[in-house]
Amino acid sequence: MRGQGHWSELLPEETLSRDEAQRVLRRLWRMLKPYYRSIFVATVLVVLQAAALLGGPALVGYAINNGLPHKHFKGDVGVLDRSVVAYLVLAFAGFVLGRLVTMRIARIGEDYLRMLRATLFRHLMGLSMGFFEREQTGRLVSRMTSDIDALQELISQGLVLMVQNVLLFVGAVIVIFVLSWQLALGVIVIVPPVYFASRWFRRVSNEAYLAVRDRIAVNMSTLQESLEGIRVVQAFAREGEYTQKFHGTNEDQYQANLRTVKISARYFPAVEFTGVLGTAVILGFGGFLVHRNLILIGTVAAFVLYLNNLFEPIQQLSQFYNVVQSAGAALQKVFNLLDTHASVVERPGAFDLPSGSLGIDVDHVSFSYTTDGETVLHDVNLSIAPGERVALVGPTGAGKSTLAKLMARFYDPVEGTVRVGGCDLRDVMLSSLHRRLCVVPQEGYLFAGSLRENVRIGRVTATDADIERALHALGLYERFAAFPEGIDTEVREGGSRLSAGERQLVSLARAALADPDILVLDEATSNLDPGTEHAVERALETLMVGRTVVVVAHRLSTAARADRIAVIDDGGLAELGTHDELVHAGGRYAALYESWVTRR
Amino acid sequence: MRQSVRPHRVWSWLGIMAGLGWTAARVSVPAIAGAAINQINGHGGHSLAFWVMVLLLAGVFQAIFTGLRRYAAFRLALRVETDLRMRLVAHLERLHFAFHDEAQTGQLMANANSDIMQVQNVVLLIPLTIASTLTMGAVIVLLVLRSPGLALFALGALPLLQISATLFSRRMFPIGLAQQDALAAYSGVVEESITGVRVVKGFGSEARQVARLDVEAERVYERSIAAAKLRAWFLPLIDLLPAMGLVGILWFGGHQVLTGHLNDGDIVAANFYVLMLIWPLRMLGMLLGQIPRAVAAAGRIHDVLITEPRIANAAHPVALPADGPGELRFEAVRFGYRRSAHPVLDGLDLVIDGGEAVALVGATASGKSTVARLVPRFYDVDAGVIRIDGVDVRDADLHEVRRAVGIVFEDTFLFTQSVRENIAFADPEAPLERVRWAARLAGADQFISDLPDGYETLVGQHGYTLSGGQRQRIAIARAVLADPRVLILDDATSSVDPSKEHEIRAALGEVMQGRTTLIIAHRPATIALADRVVLLDGGRVVVSGTHDELLRTNAAYRAVLARAEVDEITGITELNATAGD
Repeated sequence: MRGQGHWSELLPEETLSRDEAQRVLRRLWRMLKPYYRSIFVATVLVVLQAAALLGGPALVGYAINNGLPHKHFKGDVGVLDRSVVAYLVLAFAGFVLGRLVTMRIARIGEDYLRMLRATLFRHLMGLSMGFFEREQTGRLVSRMTSDIDALQELISQGLVLMVQNVLLFVGAVIVIFVLSWQLALGVIVIVPPVYFASRWFRRVSNEAYLAVRDRIAVNMSTLQESLEGIRVVQAFAREGEYTQKFHGTNEDQYQANLRTVKISARYFPAVEFTGVLGTAVILGFGGFLVHRNLILIGTVAAFVLYLNNLFEPIQQLSQFYNVVQSAGAALQKVFNLLDTHASVVERPGAFDLPSGSLGIDVDHVSFSYTTDGETVLHDVNLSIAPGERVALVGPTGAGKSTLAKLMARFYDPVEGTVRVGGCDLRDVMLSSLHRRLCVVPQEGYLFAGSLRENVRIGRVTATDADIERALHALGLYERFAAFPEGIDTEVREGGSRLSAGERQLVSLARAALADPDILVLDEATSNLDPGTEHAVERALETLMVGRTVVVVAHRLSTAARADRIAVIDDGGLAELGTHDELVHAGGRYAALYESWVTRR
Repeated sequence: MRQSVRPHRVWSWLGIMAGLGWTAARVSVPAIAGAAINQINGHGGHSLAFWVMVLLLAGVFQAIFTGLRRYAAFRLALRVETDLRMRLVAHLERLHFAFHDEAQTGQLMANANSDIMQVQNVVLLIPLTIASTLTMGAVIVLLVLRSPGLALFALGALPLLQISATLFSRRMFPIGLAQQDALAAYSGVVEESITGVRVVKGFGSEARQVARLDVEAERVYERSIAAAKLRAWFLPLIDLLPAMGLVGILWFGGHQVLTGHLNDGDIVAANFYVLMLIWPLRMLGMLLGQIPRAVAAAGRIHDVLITEPRIANAAHPVALPADGPGELRFEAVRFGYRRSAHPVLDGLDLVIDGGEAVALVGATASGKSTVARLVPRFYDVDAGVIRIDGVDVRDADLHEVRRAVGIVFEDTFLFTQSVRENIAFADPEAPLERVRWAARLAGADQFISDLPDGYETLVGQHGYTLSGGQRQRIAIARAVLADPRVLILDDATSSVDPSKEHEIRAALGEVMQGRTTLIIAHRPATIALADRVVLLDGGRVVVSGTHDELLRTNAAYRAVLARAEVDEITGITELNATAGD
């Protein structure tokens, strides 16, 4: 399922304003509170590591100045050897510290991500049904996946290097000024050009890479569509045209890629030249200072080695900027989701539904999906007795499904009350409502796992025996036991795919296992395969026995079997009565029934 | 792969030449710097200003060549990537139905995307690595000439850098895969929980999903930490190994300077060389690590490319008779989707006269749809012959056969294009008049005109959402527009609301005028459109006659119809005057 439509979902990168970025960062920092100690330790380690890395060139310079011969100095083998040993120690210390830093930061980051994933998912599962009806599945999924992945990338690749690079750069600048402020001033002039070139490169290449991403998305979705529609393409003998079309998008991708190459073919030569320029400045100006006896030759050598530490960080940091930007944007989206609150909440002091059979009272209920939106239901009254079976019929958009959703408290009514077992739903504990009232959706949705596990969703605590009993009760056990691995067959793997009818049977079995007092059924509009049609109908009949049932009916035959029929039209209750009553009354239902009978 | 590179030799050579120039310029920089240091230190020779100028000159050359070399290498790699992808896709478009039945779109997309990228990466790294290898060779020679001992101490540890980069790349790959698996499992739970949220919340099983997610998130964590552990060896190592070289230079070189065998400049130059080699060695290591993966990826692409289209044009195609009536003839046809499996059709004999409308009726898996798929040669029969107007479909031109046969499937696929473009699929140049004509005949003109942008409304996967019945009607219009001599409707009105179906039925009567029509349907009303009904069972024709005749005389036919007849009473929606289906 993942990947479907995935290619075209890539939109231009959102960028955060400075304000937003600060807010996101502050919030991130607050969330990191449990890790403050660990972060402190990591910071100390990373500073030490940078010091170890920066110590090397200084030691080389020291050794040359104080250990090797020049003009009036004979050299000192002791100084040389001590410097070598010190360098060796520093190098190994750097290695050990590097390991510790990498692990420490990875643990903090990954632990935070694990916490974020779990927190976000708990939050999501706690949101009301209404929220899920409004939001697109794909967007919610990408909050939990690609947005968090963007952070993961930052943590696993960027963070350590970023911190190191900042420290190395700052450290190198400090060290060269300490060694010789004159020469340092001379060298530092090359920093601005590199900085500006890198900034230019980041901006231009970022745009170019976004274009590439865009082209790849277009190209891949062209391909995806022509592969998914390959049968149509071949049936109409249009392979040539589709190959041609792909050729176009494929070349577009090439051109967009080539543009990034042209950009880097300008940037990298400039940077490499500036590197050599820096060396030339050090040697020329450094030589001048040596002749003036202001510095010794070892200092010049040390500068040449430090040049690298000035260059690399600037280049690398400009690359991280993009990673940081997209991680920030992703984090903001995640935070926004965390800030969305459930619209249906449990009131403090909510109580359990009374035991025994439950009826439903819809009392002067009005409802609209948005505060200023169109009224979907207005002033609906409907009483359903315990154990009664009521069918809701009516045209698409009349509000029958909405009425059913209010009974299950997917939403709260804007005006009026929905009472179950005499209790206002807003006063009832959600867990109690879920236990006593089940909504069986139109299409049986299957989760990864075996048939058995799929049925168990009806009641998580059910034993295997309970599950088998529920299947037997609906007369489904033999049917599913005949699968390759019986009821332990994996349902989403190839080969044993279930038909729409069979999926619906699983859905009914879940409801049987849950054993609620009230069933809210949304009848499937599409036709089931003839083979399972009867089984579904039989199972449904069995399931409805002894329960209060509200069925959103799409078929007259279903409606005709109900105790009473409520015709909903234009947000109101148009007709209410038994099948016979309504047929005799000669209203809409009667007209409909008539046309159905004659057509048969 | 060699085949893909060949047409772009110019760029390969340019890349290699630029690489040579770059190497020369680059290698000279430390040598010049060393000479300058020696000059500063009072060892004479040319003036310092001279060395600085030479150094800058080398810098200019290095810059020019590095730009050229990058450009050439990337251009070559991208060209190879683009061409290879084109070849792959052109080939996929030609491959037979049976191939696409087996293959998963996602897998083929991965071939065209990530697999080709893997190959591209290696193509890219090869010229870059050649230049780097040259640099290394030159550095070794220069250092050895200066002092073999210094060379040994400076460069001794560096091969370890390349080895550890290779090892890292190889070890990281399975860890990366495991990490991706964990992420995939994790997003699987996320996706099903959100897609199936009605079930989850309906039964109050949020806690179960949360527990499953925690397990997957924990696995992601563990795998990420495993990856971090590996990185925590490698990253510090690539700092340590060069540092070993620098320490070696300082010790050995320093003692040599003290004994007067070397100068300070030599130490600086050697340091410079070591720093210069870090990247080339890392890259070489990475390349060596990537090669096995790229080879595997290239293998997967190759497997697709060597799959021959099983349905191919005859060497000397026979033309279908012009203005033929569209007579269909099945002679002793046997066919199975897999050789080993039980054949779906076995000994099917059936003649459908030109212009006749025949309904194929049979229980599920009786082979009705298979008959439909054999006519336009989506598959070839295992035995027997299928003839259109007397010509064996295998002897005719494939495109001609497919243009002569119009087929509408039950699950209609619409492209992300306007309604007009979808209907005019067979003939994109068709004027709007003709498109509307086809839509009218399919009973689709009315609802299409009511769409937000009428015929220009974008539909398909990423477009406006249509009901199943509406999609089917567009698909029928698409087939009508192609004006085929044989029209096949494979359950093509199954999703159309029965209350709307009569509208199409009248129009279909008109469409069927003057062409051979094969109808596969469950609904008696649709079956009644046909002149004749053929009952299939066990892959062959059981009985044939008119609907009424069979209903009266044939118990098997009645049984099949009864089973198929579901009480489809979507009539309630008729209360709503405006709804589509």
